[in-house]
Amino acid sequence: MNRVLEDVIHRNASVVDRITVESTQGYVVSDNIANAVAESSFDNTSAQAIVKHIHGILVSTCQSAVRDIDPANSVCFLRLATRKFEYLVAPEEYFTVTVVQ
Amino acid sequence: MSAEVEELLKRFQALKNVIGIVVVDNDGIPIKTTLEYNLTLHYVALMQTLREKARQVVQDLDATNEFTFLRLRTLLHEVMLCPQDDYFIMVLQNPCD
Repeated sequence: MNRVLEDVIHRNASVVDRITVESTQGYVVSDNIANAVAESSFDNTSAQAIVKHIHGILVSTCQSAVRDIDPANSVCFLRLATRKFEYLVAPEEYFTVTVVQ
Repeated sequence: MSAEVEELLKRFQALKNVIGIVVVDNDGIPIKTTLEYNLTLHYVALMQTLREKARQVVQDLDATNEFTFLRLRTLLHEVMLCPQDDYFIMVLQNPCD
């Protein structure tokens, strides 16, 4: 796993605690380069599924759609609401964070 | 389209941060739009793909779940996509920060 990513995760442990206490089901942090789960509060299978679907397919589709309209634009945040939960996705430069609530 | 729907759309369009509203039917034809035509077509094409992808993603993750709303926040705008049975609505607005 990326060194930079590990440091970031350790530094944000308190933030993670705060998020998990509120009405969230869990979170997943994925490494952008490897497209693999870096950190998650879910079990590995679910986390990997989330990473593969949301990070892999949806985020890249959104990003290309946005860039297609205006090349200077880029996705900051993605909020996918479903009947049961809501997925909050924040793609960054090196990693992507998804919170399920 | 009925007068009430027109009224609602006008109300939304009048909101401060809203740039445009597009209502698209299932065939990808914009029924109602407040954006300029070429831009509307561009958005519609992309939003259709996005809507399908989002629907697939949600179905794959949980077969009993359904995609109800998508909110895409970018540097310059915020796009809100609301799929319904026979059509879908897209609203483009300036994010209020």
